[in-house]
Amino acid sequence: MTQIAAQRYTGSSVKRSEDLRILAGAGRYVDDIKLPGMLHAAFVRSPLAHGRVLAVDASAARSLPGVVAVLTGADLDDMTVRGPDPLLAMMGGGGPTAEYSLLATDKVRLVGDPVAVVIAESRYLAEDGCELVDVDYQDLPAVASATAALDASSTPVFANLGNNIIGPHKRSEFGDVAGTFAAADRIAEFHLDVHRHQNVPMEGRGCIASYDSDSGLLTMYAATQSVHITRMGVAACLGVAPERVRVLAGDIGGSFGLKIGASREELAVAAASRALGRPVKWVEDRSENLTVSGQAREESFDVRAAVSDDGDLLGLDVSMVIDTGAYPVMGSMVPSIIEAMLPGPYKLAALGFESTAVVTNKASYIAYRGPWASETFVRERVLDLLAKDLGLDPFEIRLRNVAPRTSPPAMMVTGRPLTGVTTRESLERLTQVVDVPAFRRRQAAERARGRYLGIGVATFIEAAPGPRAPEGSGGALGQESMRLRLAEDGIVMLFTGQMPHGQGHQTTLAQIAADEFGVPFEQVRVVIGDSDVVPFGLTGGSRSATMTGGVTLHGARQLKAKVLDVAALLIEASAQDLEITDGQVAVRGDPDSAIPVAEVARQAASGRFGADVDATLEVEATFDGGEGGWSGGSHCAIVEVDVETGIVKVERYVAAEDCGALINPAVVEGQIRGGIAQGIGAVLLERSAYDQDGNYQSATFMDYLLPTACDIPRMEIEHLQTVPLDADVNFRGVGEGGMIVAPPTLVNAIEDALAPFGVRIYEQHLPPARILELIAQQADDDADKPVALAERRSRSAA
Amino acid sequence: MTEITVNVNGAPRTASVEARRTLADFLRDDLDLTGTHVGCEHGVCGACTVIVDGRPVRSCLMLAVQAAGHDVTTIEGLAPDGVLGPLQQAMRDSHSFQCGFCTPGFVMQATAFLGAHPDAGEQEIREALSGNICRCTKPTWGATYDSDRGSALHRLQRQAL
Amino acid sequence: MKLPDFSYEAPATVAEAIALLAEYQDEASLLAGGQSLIPLLALRLTHPAVLVDINGLDELSGVSVTDGQVTIGALTREYVAEESETVAETLPLLASALPLIGHEAIRSRGTVGGSLAHADPAAELPAVARALDAELVVRSQSGERVIPAAEWFEGYLTTARRPDEILVEVRFPVAEPGTGVAFQEIARRHGDFAMVGLATSLTLTDGTISDARLAFSGVADIPVRAAEAESLLVGQQPTGELFAEAARRAAAPLDPPADLHGSSDYRKKVAATLVRRGLQAAADNAHERH
Repeated sequence: MTQIAAQRYTGSSVKRSEDLRILAGAGRYVDDIKLPGMLHAAFVRSPLAHGRVLAVDASAARSLPGVVAVLTGADLDDMTVRGPDPLLAMMGGGGPTAEYSLLATDKVRLVGDPVAVVIAESRYLAEDGCELVDVDYQDLPAVASATAALDASSTPVFANLGNNIIGPHKRSEFGDVAGTFAAADRIAEFHLDVHRHQNVPMEGRGCIASYDSDSGLLTMYAATQSVHITRMGVAACLGVAPERVRVLAGDIGGSFGLKIGASREELAVAAASRALGRPVKWVEDRSENLTVSGQAREESFDVRAAVSDDGDLLGLDVSMVIDTGAYPVMGSMVPSIIEAMLPGPYKLAALGFESTAVVTNKASYIAYRGPWASETFVRERVLDLLAKDLGLDPFEIRLRNVAPRTSPPAMMVTGRPLTGVTTRESLERLTQVVDVPAFRRRQAAERARGRYLGIGVATFIEAAPGPRAPEGSGGALGQESMRLRLAEDGIVMLFTGQMPHGQGHQTTLAQIAADEFGVPFEQVRVVIGDSDVVPFGLTGGSRSATMTGGVTLHGARQLKAKVLDVAALLIEASAQDLEITDGQVAVRGDPDSAIPVAEVARQAASGRFGADVDATLEVEATFDGGEGGWSGGSHCAIVEVDVETGIVKVERYVAAEDCGALINPAVVEGQIRGGIAQGIGAVLLERSAYDQDGNYQSATFMDYLLPTACDIPRMEIEHLQTVPLDADVNFRGVGEGGMIVAPPTLVNAIEDALAPFGVRIYEQHLPPARILELIAQQADDDADKPVALAERRSRSAA
Repeated sequence: MTEITVNVNGAPRTASVEARRTLADFLRDDLDLTGTHVGCEHGVCGACTVIVDGRPVRSCLMLAVQAAGHDVTTIEGLAPDGVLGPLQQAMRDSHSFQCGFCTPGFVMQATAFLGAHPDAGEQEIREALSGNICRCTKPTWGATYDSDRGSALHRLQRQAL
Repeated sequence: MKLPDFSYEAPATVAEAIALLAEYQDEASLLAGGQSLIPLLALRLTHPAVLVDINGLDELSGVSVTDGQVTIGALTREYVAEESETVAETLPLLASALPLIGHEAIRSRGTVGGSLAHADPAAELPAVARALDAELVVRSQSGERVIPAAEWFEGYLTTARRPDEILVEVRFPVAEPGTGVAFQEIARRHGDFAMVGLATSLTLTDGTISDARLAFSGVADIPVRAAEAESLLVGQQPTGELFAEAARRAAAPLDPPADLHGSSDYRKKVAATLVRRGLQAAADNAHERH
């Protein structure tokens, strides 16, 4: 297991050090910051989904008292450099690149597309100014769906692309696809849709750009998952070296993938600050956040499954279309991750995969907690559909198909080894915690009384970080850096590029360092959020548990070794005989020899040691993930569907999870709960809806519905014993798993509840009206096929 | 512009405001009490909840001028010497929040509700908090029921709020 | 989403308020609880020249009972009505609807009169007012008018109130002995506006239905009384079959609007379900109120 020296803090639910300031109302989020001379920005936004901009008249706005400037798309083009999105550039996307200006100049491509920015003394006045900017638009036909975008005759959203296909169709094959399908007992075909929904953190995007004309330096107070990636984006846009930009971030009100790099609005605000020589704040309001900040998950899949009569899933052939919206960023890269992950923990022998990515007049497809999650939805939905066709129990079909844990490990047909995967154990744990046979009896009894309960199960694995990859294949994110220093007051300082926005890194990393180094938890300080001070990092991809936990562990050891070398000189003992306990360095077994680490630090800084002694009590540590490992688990939900109203209640939810060694169980459980809550939201409540003209319909919280305390049940979380792979670091990521596996778990449960009606579900969003439609449609279909209905009903009653 | 005096966290606070300024913006920008957060500005998310004359109120749906002469309590007023009250301590003990943006609103709503209904059961509490939205975790208070830490709520109920 | 600019008036008396309305007419918006108006202002969906804040009109608050009639001042806060023992005893249907209005913080400020004057067809109080044949009393410089609920709701967010009039009070008849009530909603989440809501009131006299009220929210641009279903019920014994037939008759004439949350067909279906469930619940608690 994870080998940490003292294990006093690691593994326990240490209370978060962040909480005190949050509970006292002393958190410092971007909108809480006020700078002298600060101005406020608001954006003039397109009411059309697709149109030409014929003229922009800002004269009335500029004359409004309190309005300091109005910058149009053309103005901003003159003061900035056009370039690709920094995250996109870092991840190395392929395919054609759409060309567009920072703010809209000649065209608007979605409702809410920013056309101009008004800078004023207050946000109130800036919005007043926006109402006075007169924009002359010419309507263009909206490309409001993927189907429309695939049509070669649809109006191109980007002139330079010629059509609306940004990720041209490409196909890969793994294993013998043709042979597997030819030899299979049966082929099943499905079309599955995942609906558009979005991140919606409680704090939207925002920043304060503060340009100092004397020094030529720009400071960005940002809400971001990486101060360095934001810095890269801002510097590139302003055409300056990164050293001329400093990004600071404090408390961040959630993100889930939204706040990475710098958005068009934030870049406009940075340019405005430079032009005006004054700080400019922009904080998006909820309508902006819902309408234009970005959305996710709009994907459709045509699936063919090669199956044996006994329920072996032999092969899958999948064709997907992803709607990347207007101003495409990382959406066209998602299919390749889906392709890689589709086999999951199963023995799948062959996979054919093809994808097409389109642009439409909708918000950009952005990263949302487990961007590739649809691979689990597709796979776990297909397994349930196959199970029904074959008369198999959903647990049974999964246990049959799970790859055994062998040494050497079984390989996913797409190439990664299934090292240390505990899928079988997680499914078995669910059956220990949930008495499935008893549930089936209750289900049958309740059906006789006209109540419809259902049980669903789904399983997933996540590369958090995944097993060790070949050398050098990780790119910028293949390594994690940390600087560790013992300060003169005895505080162990950890400088990390991690940018927590709810993950509690200031607590969890301190736990590891405290244990490894030997000081009390309170004697560690985690420094974040200053691009001038911290090394490169990104909080995302569920990486921090392994990568940052690991670099903390190893870095603390390296720092401790340095400190003991210096302490050995002070105590006049051999470094091997020294230990640090509770912040005191002493000869093992001789407490009278103890001196506080602060004393060692003071002595080291005093200059008393000669050049032959390394008295800099600081290390620059890196960690490549070690042996890594998979995270994963299985979830089970019991639901009741009111078939007269379509309302679904989640009666019970159980998660059996394996995220390796736990740093802080309460933090882990919080991450899982939050992910599950988002999964419940996705299935029952949340949809980013557009009409056929591209008008956005979910622009307030009255239409984009988030789950509340009444919608989210108690959750039971079972922690599994992990298969350790690394000598030291077996923490694995847990941030995204809940959101990846909860949607199929719930959809599987709902379909199970509706089994007496013969309902099959090929989609992820099931609001009450849709549930009644599914029941009614099936009844209509059945009216034409009474024999099939009788068969189906007798099978589901079995 | 009107000059208004509002009794905030026990002290009279005066500022000159436009009629259209919301109570939320007045607290945050005129009084520098930034603990109250703005999450939606249309009264749904509850992040801006404060207590006015003993009642929970969405400060984004009240004009600052309407608060003139009234008593307003914000999150800053619950721990004036930096010492957390029992509700706040219970929330910390139960790891009830993550990013913290929704938290002040939850604390104020829960403070007002539990003050008036100290014997409320689980379902009543869920309903009382269902007007506050949390995106990071199972909405805050519910977390206390999922573990042995459920005692946090019971301890709170035994203490007079 | 910051509010647009407007002139602000805070009259201290009703006389002052109606003088302002006489002057500004439809250029003025009345600000009571603000829980509906302020979001509209924040979203800049409305730009009144003048906001008349009537929260200072204490004379318009209060609950009183006289001669079988309950009078609720228009400015009575929803939470005050919710906590009122008088309301609980005399207006059980109103008492059952009030806790469903939004969330507690909304009810801290929202007013009974404000909800009725705003007339959102998905709101609870308009359906209650229609069910109970409430009377709405408006006042202007020309005097007072008493408008029956059936004539008050004219269209989407539109009432019979003229621009120079202010709603001063609402009058409800005290519930008869033997009356059982239910207010039920199908909403996406607890506290949301209903997709369909139903105010049900049944009075049982010697085991027979002597009075039946069914008023929907969310099925049209105004609250809708299910008159045909009501006439079917009166004089009958309460049975499951009767309730099912009443449900069919109540839903048949409906042509509800469709929106993101539900199709017209969905609303019509659940309207029928609510009638069955509402009648059963009302019948059950009518027995309790004997």
